[in-house]
Amino acid sequence: MVGLQAEMIRSELEEVVGTPNLSTDDTARLVYATDWFWLPQMWLDRGEKPRKPDYIVRPGNAEEVSAILQIANTYRIPVIPWGGGSGSQGGALSIYGGIILDTKRMNRIIEIDEKSLTVTAQAGINGAQLEWALNDKGLMLPHYPASANCATLGGYLSPRGTGTISTKYGKAEDLVLSMQVVLPDGHIMRTPVVPQHAAGPDFYRLFLGAEGTLGVITEATMQLDYLPEARLLRAVLFENLADAIEAGRQIMTRRLDPFVIRLYDPRSTASRVKKILGYELEGAYMVIGFDGDKDLAALQEQKAMEIILRFGAKDLGREPGESWWNHRYDFYYPPQSLKLPWMYGTTETVTTYDKIEKLYYAEKRAVEEGFKDRDIDFIGHFSHWFHWGVMVYTRFIIKNPPEDAQEAVRLHNRVWNTAMTAVLENGGMVNEHHGVGLKLSRYMRRQYGDAWPLLERIKKALDPNRIMNPGKVGF
Amino acid sequence: MSATAIENCRYCLMCRHAAPVGHVMHDETVTPHGIALVAASVNRGLLDWNPSSVDVLYAEPDTGNCRAHCVTDQRLPAAIAAIRAAVCAEGLAPPSVYQIHERLARTGSAFGERLASSGAADVALFVGDEAHNLRPACVTSVYALLRAIRVEVAPIGIGASTGYMACSLGFPETARTQALACLEEIRAAGARKVLVLAPVDLFAFRKLYPERLDITWPPDIELVDLATFLAAQLAKGTLRLCPGSGDATYIDPTHAVRTPERFGPVRELCDAALGQPPRELFWRRDRAHPVGSTALQFSRPDIAEALTRARLEDARRTGASTLLCEDPGTLHHLERYASEYGLTIHGLFNTLATLTRA
Repeated sequence: MVGLQAEMIRSELEEVVGTPNLSTDDTARLVYATDWFWLPQMWLDRGEKPRKPDYIVRPGNAEEVSAILQIANTYRIPVIPWGGGSGSQGGALSIYGGIILDTKRMNRIIEIDEKSLTVTAQAGINGAQLEWALNDKGLMLPHYPASANCATLGGYLSPRGTGTISTKYGKAEDLVLSMQVVLPDGHIMRTPVVPQHAAGPDFYRLFLGAEGTLGVITEATMQLDYLPEARLLRAVLFENLADAIEAGRQIMTRRLDPFVIRLYDPRSTASRVKKILGYELEGAYMVIGFDGDKDLAALQEQKAMEIILRFGAKDLGREPGESWWNHRYDFYYPPQSLKLPWMYGTTETVTTYDKIEKLYYAEKRAVEEGFKDRDIDFIGHFSHWFHWGVMVYTRFIIKNPPEDAQEAVRLHNRVWNTAMTAVLENGGMVNEHHGVGLKLSRYMRRQYGDAWPLLERIKKALDPNRIMNPGKVGF
Repeated sequence: MSATAIENCRYCLMCRHAAPVGHVMHDETVTPHGIALVAASVNRGLLDWNPSSVDVLYAEPDTGNCRAHCVTDQRLPAAIAAIRAAVCAEGLAPPSVYQIHERLARTGSAFGERLASSGAADVALFVGDEAHNLRPACVTSVYALLRAIRVEVAPIGIGASTGYMACSLGFPETARTQALACLEEIRAAGARKVLVLAPVDLFAFRKLYPERLDITWPPDIELVDLATFLAAQLAKGTLRLCPGSGDATYIDPTHAVRTPERFGPVRELCDAALGQPPRELFWRRDRAHPVGSTALQFSRPDIAEALTRARLEDARRTGASTLLCEDPGTLHHLERYASEYGLTIHGLFNTLATLTRA
């Protein structure tokens, strides 16, 4: 954006947030031109010019957010909320330019209620920093995503994130009691104080998963837990994946309450577990953990192990389980993490137990056979378990992607189309916890079918000028 | 090595929670990832080194917080220092950087003057630049403490920069000259053991010299942190103190995360000084954030001030009105704004010196 209009907008934004909290220089605009989505990173990596935001603003409170949205409405320019920039779906990309609204200045803890076990904090607070503050009081926010070091509280909620211990404690969306949200027209609203009641429909959940397309979450009250007295972890090895999934299902449906079941498929066991944890194993590697009071956790573990051993799994003992827990984020540090110039993507999905195995193999087959010429690698682990089903975190890796950026985009999108078609045809959701962003936006109509127009109507009612994060979540 | 860290860090966000500048500026651009991405983008022709990108390059504090929290030990601070060196050589660094370099090269000190030392002893005390020029009372107290335990020291490096500042700003040759001068002075003193007063100098001798300047600390000379040494004397009963009393908050100094072995000993000294454990900041021990006592005070004074104010705000939240620290540079920066926060700054060594007894 150039010329008089650009200066008008700049001057109005500056009045709202102050000069130090507004950036328009090329350097900042380039840094904010990519989040953790493979495509824009690859694009920059190949030296291609990205679509940059025009402005980056760092508001300090909901009132400033409101004023920014009103300016954006006046000039009909996009607003893209930004938390930690750690989203892998392109949800924070300014594909049409506009205003990046970085929430990180809104990073205060407003209240820790040690009686009700809740914390109220601004949405821009860093996840790990929030956790440190809670741990100092013997508490925890039981949402431990791999992105905790960099993501924000708003970023936990906006794409309906899931953490490592969700199997017991739930997804981020299950932990939220109430929120303050700024609507696209600048109206500041607060949802009811508690989520469980019968005073009308659960409309506040609209903002969970909207990824900034329906408003900006500026504050949230979250449910806490005491730090557990004990965390009992161990690892087991199954001969085959089917037995391991069935053992996991039995543990979950008997409500033995593990805080984690991390089941690596044989390919992942042979590659990632070996590379990061150093164990050379054949089969399906499972880490299982129970926490809380030590005696109760031990009893739950004993019951779970009875199930596991019935399937002929080998008990590898505590050390490999604890080692996984202690190094669970090491997978994400370069050079250990998946990184460019490789092409990779996480096609994670979720469905019910009756469909999960069929879905996993259907996707695996479609991707492996469809891109055999690229020597594609397909790996996965099952890591967020529910009473009714499980998420499978499937990934593809191509170590020799095209050097040409445009050709790489085409290949990337073909792989995704193949994977998502298999997912949708086999009863899966296009995503369980990374969110939709730009990457999965094109599958939303297929995902929701005749339910989609309702969301369209809601979008139109809340954001008639379509300023909020355009191009994302199907809008 | 430099290129590897830049490439590895350009899309890595895993130290965000621990990175001090991004935290106080709330800006993606000045996080380790942001700075690495800027450098990587210059390499790819997407940006050039201009005033705004150079400003970002000079926003990195070189206090080791990112590396201390990096599982794969990416040496990003050193990589950034290497890029600054290239930028300096091109004449593209901010004018303030050249000004401070001129002073460093001319006097050997960033803050005043370097004095020649002449004494010789088995034990030397490396005084350093900040202690001599910014907190001389701290040095006096250290001498009193050493006298109390009957350790005779030869003061060396009085007002001397070890080379850290020059290296961090992007002048490795000047840093190397200063480093060699320091080592020569140590040899001339005939010391077999060198006590180091300031954490920044301890870091320079232990890590910066071998990793960035290709200089090895003499293997026959023992390098000892002064606070750790005093804590050991206290534990042995050699350092005898009157019972201390007081309520204060301890602030880990700038560079604390680079010397985690000091976390315990320095708190033992605080316990003795106060008669009780000190209150702790949120940003403490392995997550300790720096104040502005780094090259930022010259290259990005806005960030240096924001870092210092953030620590004072953190201290105010602990409820104590007194803030305790052993590091001269940290104390100097805290003192600039402390009164605005209703805080009094006390030097740990000064407090301990008042408690010494025969």
